[in-house]
Amino acid sequence: MRAVVLAGMLSVVVAGCGGSKDKSTSDTTAAAAPAAADTTAAAAPAATGGQPIQKAVAPRTGTGTPIKVGVLSDCQGAFGTFDNQDLAGVVAAFSQFAGAKPKNPNKPRDGWTGGAIGNHPLKLVGVGCSNDQADTAIKETRRLMEQLNADVMIGPLSGDESIAVANYAKQHPDKTFVDGAAGAQDTTLKVQAPNFFRFNGDGAQWNAGLGDLAVNKLHWKTAAVISDDYSFGWTSTAGFIADFCAAGGQVTKRIFPPLNTTDYSSFAQQIPDNVDGYFVAVGGAGLIPFLKAYEQAKGPIDGKKFIGNLFWGTPGQFEQLGPRVAGAYVGGAGTAGDLDTPAAQDYANNIIGKWFKKIPPAGDPASQAASTFTYGYYVNTWGLVKGLEAVKGDISGGQKKLQEALAKVTLPAPYGEITLDQNRQAVLDVFYQQLYMKDGKLAVKTIASIPKVDQTFGGLFNASTPAPGRNFPKCEKKALPWQGKEQAVKVVG
Amino acid sequence: MTDFATFASSRTARLVGRGLLVVLIAFPVIWVLFIANGTSFGSAVSDPKDFLITLLNGLTAAALYFVVASGFTLIFGLMRVVNMAHGAFFLFGGYIALKVQRGQVGEGGSFGLSSSQVGLFQWVLPLIAGAAAVAGLGLLMQQLFIRWNQGQELRQALITIAVSIIMADQMLAHFGGVAQDIAWPGTFDKFVNLHVAGVQYTLTRLVIAGIGLAIGLGLWLWLKKTRTGMVIRAGVDDRAMVSAMGINIQLTFAIAFLVGSALAGVGGVIGGSFASLAPGVDANWLLNSLVVVIIGGMGSLGGAAIGALLLGLTTNFAAAYLPADYTFYSIIFTFVLLAIVLAVRPLGLYGRPA
Amino acid sequence: MSARRPTASLDRGTAAVLVAIAILAPLIFNTYWIGTLLTQMLFLGIVAASLIFLSAYGGMVSLAQVALYGIAGFAIGNLTTNGNTKGLNLGWTPLAAIPVALAITIGLGLLFGALSSRSVGIYFLMITLTFSVIANLFFGQVTSLSGFGGISGIPAPGFIGNVDHHPDRLYYLALVLALLVYALLRYIARTPFGLTLQGIRDDPVRMSSLGYNVTLHRTLAFGFASFIAAIGGVLFAYWNGHIDPATIGLGATIDVLVVAVIGGLSRLEGAWLGALVFVLINNYAQRIGFVSDRFHTLIGVVFLVIVLLSPDGLMGLWGRLGDLRRRGERPGQAPTGGSERGSGELEPTV
Repeated sequence: MRAVVLAGMLSVVVAGCGGSKDKSTSDTTAAAAPAAADTTAAAAPAATGGQPIQKAVAPRTGTGTPIKVGVLSDCQGAFGTFDNQDLAGVVAAFSQFAGAKPKNPNKPRDGWTGGAIGNHPLKLVGVGCSNDQADTAIKETRRLMEQLNADVMIGPLSGDESIAVANYAKQHPDKTFVDGAAGAQDTTLKVQAPNFFRFNGDGAQWNAGLGDLAVNKLHWKTAAVISDDYSFGWTSTAGFIADFCAAGGQVTKRIFPPLNTTDYSSFAQQIPDNVDGYFVAVGGAGLIPFLKAYEQAKGPIDGKKFIGNLFWGTPGQFEQLGPRVAGAYVGGAGTAGDLDTPAAQDYANNIIGKWFKKIPPAGDPASQAASTFTYGYYVNTWGLVKGLEAVKGDISGGQKKLQEALAKVTLPAPYGEITLDQNRQAVLDVFYQQLYMKDGKLAVKTIASIPKVDQTFGGLFNASTPAPGRNFPKCEKKALPWQGKEQAVKVVG
Repeated sequence: MTDFATFASSRTARLVGRGLLVVLIAFPVIWVLFIANGTSFGSAVSDPKDFLITLLNGLTAAALYFVVASGFTLIFGLMRVVNMAHGAFFLFGGYIALKVQRGQVGEGGSFGLSSSQVGLFQWVLPLIAGAAAVAGLGLLMQQLFIRWNQGQELRQALITIAVSIIMADQMLAHFGGVAQDIAWPGTFDKFVNLHVAGVQYTLTRLVIAGIGLAIGLGLWLWLKKTRTGMVIRAGVDDRAMVSAMGINIQLTFAIAFLVGSALAGVGGVIGGSFASLAPGVDANWLLNSLVVVIIGGMGSLGGAAIGALLLGLTTNFAAAYLPADYTFYSIIFTFVLLAIVLAVRPLGLYGRPA
Repeated sequence: MSARRPTASLDRGTAAVLVAIAILAPLIFNTYWIGTLLTQMLFLGIVAASLIFLSAYGGMVSLAQVALYGIAGFAIGNLTTNGNTKGLNLGWTPLAAIPVALAITIGLGLLFGALSSRSVGIYFLMITLTFSVIANLFFGQVTSLSGFGGISGIPAPGFIGNVDHHPDRLYYLALVLALLVYALLRYIARTPFGLTLQGIRDDPVRMSSLGYNVTLHRTLAFGFASFIAAIGGVLFAYWNGHIDPATIGLGATIDVLVVAVIGGLSRLEGAWLGALVFVLINNYAQRIGFVSDRFHTLIGVVFLVIVLLSPDGLMGLWGRLGDLRRRGERPGQAPTGGSERGSGELEPTV
């Protein structure tokens, strides 16, 4: 088993040994991965090529003091549909790594039975139901932590919720929080709660590498960005602008339609014709209306001129966009379901696909494994399990030991190794993808991976810069640690 | 009493109000036509093409706002029922049509369709199905809950709020939270050359405008020329008198609720084709309908038309002709317009006291 | 007309017992009940009371109360936070911010009131709904004051301390304020201003011809109610430590209406009763197996049943129970909460 883990690290570290890395990142990488020194000499074909397959641990139960776990998911609002994906990630990770078992293989939301760390059983005290609004997320967090007395919480799902939860975490240092799938930058970069850990990327990280794609492969010199006018849209757009401008591109127009816009036609009309391409970070209920308004203003969508953010590639959602977007590129969310590596395929078929027969409402579990929601909750729960393992389930003493251990966790995750930086934010490999027609249906194909993306974009974002917004960041050419390290990936199918 | 009090109720106040209104209308018009500094397109004189397209966008959006709001105002005008479930009805009609269309086309329910896969009939049948389903639902709600509370406006509004809460949650459970759309038929999904300023305009939006006009005309003829229509108009003016004359007002109420709900359904199908169907869309369209009928005056069909025009034009022009740093606030504009109208005319432009 | 006058249907004994329970609550219930459920009940009740005050004494059913409560909360957030990425970050001391937040809210409340005071009945409901939508969109779009993410990390004044560590302090503050608000509203109703307001509610034309300025009274009543709502908003800001536009969204607006209707739109006590029921349903519905993630449906059904069965909400049911008990002893007394009266009626005459 240990040999497998080591073999997996070989390949991942290769990408991390480049010289141009930002200081903070290299520091934490070294601290978080002590094995790195032994393995840097070895070479591997691709950054994500050789993550080890994760064998399931034997079923476990314990008799000690239970570890009470709360999960905060969204069951209402724009992401309410993904409720069962969220829980599938959580339950699969506990089943795979802590000897639990899904209560109902057809409905992840029902939770798990069994499972223990050390001699401490894992007890699910409740699943919070939020609606992507910070206000509700805080109410549900209180219910889980204060009424149901959870020791640790997994969640929330979305950006603004996570900023509020991280602030809550700061007030409650003797409890421990791991993120679910939320991608707001402020959550870790600005709030810096010592007991909030995030093993998934933020919205900007997820779009790293798009500069390479747009400037070097699609030969865009200028671009317009169209984004939802709120923090996640801004963060997602910030990642594109930072990367695109760093590679030498120019962003000539930024259009921010308000959320809940009914008629996007006036905004579509304002999209300039004299640019080489568009980055679209309109999400939720707005994306389809925006695309339709674009078609009705400018004609059919030319895939080569469009890059979308994760909403264009999330399984369970992108299918609805229809054939109109075939050919467009997708920034992704650090996920690549079609990656042809044993670890990635094993994760879909033998982990998510093994523990569940069905993830409602879509059904087939394996194809939903690469959803940012399933994967986000999965890696965060897995990170929590590893942290708990390191302290043998001992959460006494205000959970300080657990929190120290969590900061050092390294995950040999299905889509590439994940480490944490000093703000307890993931440093991870991300991907860009393309939409295409497969057997008459829209599908996503991963094109390339970008290794070891950290939150700061080479210092462009730090604790004292403004949060991404309508005018920040500015468009500047600069060096990024991952520039030139993009690698084509092998995919299945 | 204070000076303020005498001032507020005086004629001077009203004159000042009117003057303000004129300025508030004149300034934007002059701005758009001749100035428009720092906007995406510049003034209409310098860029007539984008101006014309924005104008058409506004007018066609207004047609859809009218379709949805006309159902709302019909129900209110006759029965004084503020149907707060109107947005939920809109969304429900859209979802029914979506299911019917995807069933017809048979490409599997979870994938969006392109217009090339959809024939005219595969849009018209869903439209009829959506409208019929909502008409039935509306009638059911009226007969089960509303009918017994005649004359208790607030209680009826509260009932419809409860219905909308239940419907929103059940639709999320049954149709999911991911945005989906009804595909336009290929017949509509093309551009038409208008031969004015080189404008190529999408036929889909012209179809919306056509449907809006047809519905407006149909409603007008129905209310003016048929016996039921005359009873409804009489009922709007004096319910007690209509009942006293031995006319079955309950039947008229039921018909009005049926038609009003069906219009929400028709709106939902068009709205689902023009934008998308998702949780939250119901609240947006309830607000749109409220804005339209409040501006126009509740219960007035002509008022709904004027309200829809104002809303459609304001939203589209605000988004395009505000200086670039202010387009973020375009969505607030609509409601400021509304507050101004109400401050000057508390019952809306065409409203009459009950 | 007299049948329409809001009546207190809680007798003194019951009221005393309830207040005693509220005072002793921290000894009876656990910290989650005190810190979360009951505190929430108290400030939601205050907002709902401002709505009920306008409805019961002024005949105005306002949907702007949540917006006003939010304005106070946003004001507190902008004035007192420091070093956040959002908001003005003025960093004032919490106590200095309170009067300013109240003043801003009352000012805007008077403006809203002046704009809406000529509307009546269902039109008034609609125009106040418009105000709440404007407020929601305003804070969503104006990022220098909030933006969709809202303002986090709002500190409570020193004497309250960290709300999570000392939940009972904020609870007692909310309790005292709720009792004061209740007493103040009852008192106002008996002043000449309150009596005039009730006269206007019942017959605005007659009051106008008697020389009373109808719109001015309505405007002032609205301004006063916004002061009450603002108290709730300040408490909310301290309690939650976070405020965002969803706090005053359409859902929240309807929630407070639901609270007021469940309690009973014509009785002030109903505000807190409705708030308690609402908070408990919201909190516990998720634990009922067959509803779990569909608990919004349950809330809708409960609301529907209450509206259909008892137009006066739970207070109406309570009143009718009392009538049943008394009927034998004092024959001939008219029921105070019968459905034939119907608080749903907005127009004084049909």
